[in-house]
Formats: sequence, C-alpha cells, structure tokens
Amino acid sequence: MIEHDFDEEFVPIAAELQRLPYLSPSRDFADRVIARIDRLQPARIAPVTAARHLEVHRGGQRAVVPRRQVSVLRATGRATAGVALIAAAAFMFFEIDVLTAILSAAVTQYAFTIAAVGTQIGALVLGSETIAYLQAGALQAIILYMALAFGLICGYAGIRTAAQIARQKAA
Amino acid sequence: MPARSYTDVSDQQVVVFAQEGREDAYRELIKRYERPVFSLIYRMVRDKETSEDLAQETFIKVLNNIDRYRPEFKFSSWLFKIANNITIDHLRRRQVDTISIEGSPNAITAESARATAVTVTSGGESPLEELESRELGAEIEKAIARLRPEYRACIILRHVEDYSYDEIAEIVKLPLGTVKTYIHRARQELRQYLGDLR
Repeated sequence: MIEHDFDEEFVPIAAELQRLPYLSPSRDFADRVIARIDRLQPARIAPVTAARHLEVHRGGQRAVVPRRQVSVLRATGRATAGVALIAAAAFMFFEIDVLTAILSAAVTQYAFTIAAVGTQIGALVLGSETIAYLQAGALQAIILYMALAFGLICGYAGIRTAAQIARQKAA
Repeated sequence: MPARSYTDVSDQQVVVFAQEGREDAYRELIKRYERPVFSLIYRMVRDKETSEDLAQETFIKVLNNIDRYRPEFKFSSWLFKIANNITIDHLRRRQVDTISIEGSPNAITAESARATAVTVTSGGESPLEELESRELGAEIEKAIARLRPEYRACIILRHVEDYSYDEIAEIVKLPLGTVKTYIHRARQELRQYLGDLR
C-alpha cells in the first residue's frame, strides 16, 4: 500500500484508481510473443529445416541450414567456365583485340606493383632526397591548386550574388 | 524439459530459469505481467489493437534481452520502463489522444467498436456493484484519458501499480522532482474532471 501523500479530496479518487480493473489482451497473446523469442526458435524449427538450402525466417529469427560442401575442384571448374563464357561473349560483341585485352588486364592488375617498382627505381637513380623533395613539391602543388580552386569558387559565388542583388534592385 | 510450477517463485528466480532457455519460464513472466502491461499501455493509447501491438513489442524486447536483466532492480520496473518508452515513442509518432473504453476511436461501425473493445476482468462483485463500479471506472478512465500522456503514466504507476516516486522516476526516466510535479498536477486535473461526480 502506498503512503498517504495527498489531500482528503483526492482520497475517494485514489481509492477508485486502485480499484480499476486490469484489462486483458487477446487469448493468444502469449503464443504470439513466444513465437518471436529468438532463443526459443532454433529447437522448435529444427525438424522443418531438414531440406537442403532452405532458409527459414520466423519472427526476425533466421535459421540457416549449412549448405552441402561443393568440392574445390568442381567450384574452380565452374568459375573458369563462367569467366571463359563471359570473355568469349565480350570478344564477340565488342570485337576486342586480344593483345590489347591482355595488356590492359595486366596493367590493371599490376598497376600498384608497377608504381612501387617505379618509385624504387626512381629512388635508386635520383636518390631518396630528390624523391622526397619532389614529393614535398607535389604536396605544395596540391595545396596551391586547392587554394586556387577555392578562390575561383568563392569569386564566382561573389559575382553571382552581386549580379542577383543588382537584378533585384533593378526590378 | 518438463514444465514446472512457478507458484511462490520470485520474478528474479523465474528470470534465471528463462535465461537458461526454459519456455515455461518465459510463459510464466508473460502470464504474470501481460495484464498490467497491457492495461498501462491501453490507458495511455486508448486503442486495443495498438495496445496489443505495443505490449507485444514490449515483451519481445524484454524477453529477447533477458540476459541483460540486472537482478538488483525489480523485473516489473524494467518491464514497465520498456513499456513506457515504447508507448511514449508511439504517442510522439502519432498524436493519439481520443478516448473510448467501448472500442477503438478508429472504429466506424458499432460492430467494429465492439470488436475492438477491451475485456475488463471482473472482480467478483454483485451485478449492481459491478455496474456501479463499471460506471465509476469508466468516468475515471475518461478522466485519465484527458491527462497528458506523461501524467497518465505517472498517475497509473503511482495509484494503480503502487510504485514509489523513486521507482516511477526510474521507470519514466525523469527527475524525481518532475515526477512529483506531474503526479501533483495529474491529481489536480483528475479532481477537476471528476468534480461533477462527487
């Protein structure tokens, strides 16, 4: 029982508030809640998930049956066949020259390697100090270009604003 | 796992069984609190279907996070806290304020109103007493519905659920002084609304 901390006028209302009945939800309320308790789901749906590759989503919970393991050899074979088919289709439709295709693929794949090797060779020929000097210069150049771009944008915005004000005044 | 009886078992102990994954423990917690939680939510949103959805959401959230329960707090306080948060969020999203214990405010026909009316559990009174009590109860319900949602939660927790001011402050996540003010104002407003009846 709560302590009496209100005036006498409220006593009958407090008594009636305490007599207010509880209201009941639907009869299947508990079942609906239980159906969405994650922890209780895996054991319950285990028999249903016997079929392979079946994913069961129930009440936000996901039970996934592990896929049957495909052998590495078969997977490799399938992947190679797929890539070959796509490549053949690309050659037929876009008439790509084989040598160009091989060279561009090699350049794309080994771009980073080429850049790294190039830097090493550059350091050997020009010396690491020269390379550092060039890199620092490049950084300064980037900052300079950024400042120029910022100035251009600001200038353009200023001119447009001035033009707009002038147009408004004229109107 | 055979179902066991949870008579005379405290909430904390039932929670421990639930944490072990026992379905009957989950069902016991729902059985103990479905009516208080549903009643609190219903008295705040005044719509049966919405109240069921929000109560369901409350239990799912609480029971799915049962491992995070800290036994130094009352389980019911934690549950009411989640229920209150979910309900206040809902009320903020949709400004529901219409009142009717006879059915949903959205019900168009008498049949749909009957279908959405809540079941009031009888307290074993005589038919006349039950009628009088129902009439008074309905007036109180209407008066509660006229309060601001924040006042409703506080006054129900205080006078229907018998919580202390400190516990209410913890549940509704408001300072103790604010809770006291809300309850004081709610009492004043209830007295004002119900003045004609006395």
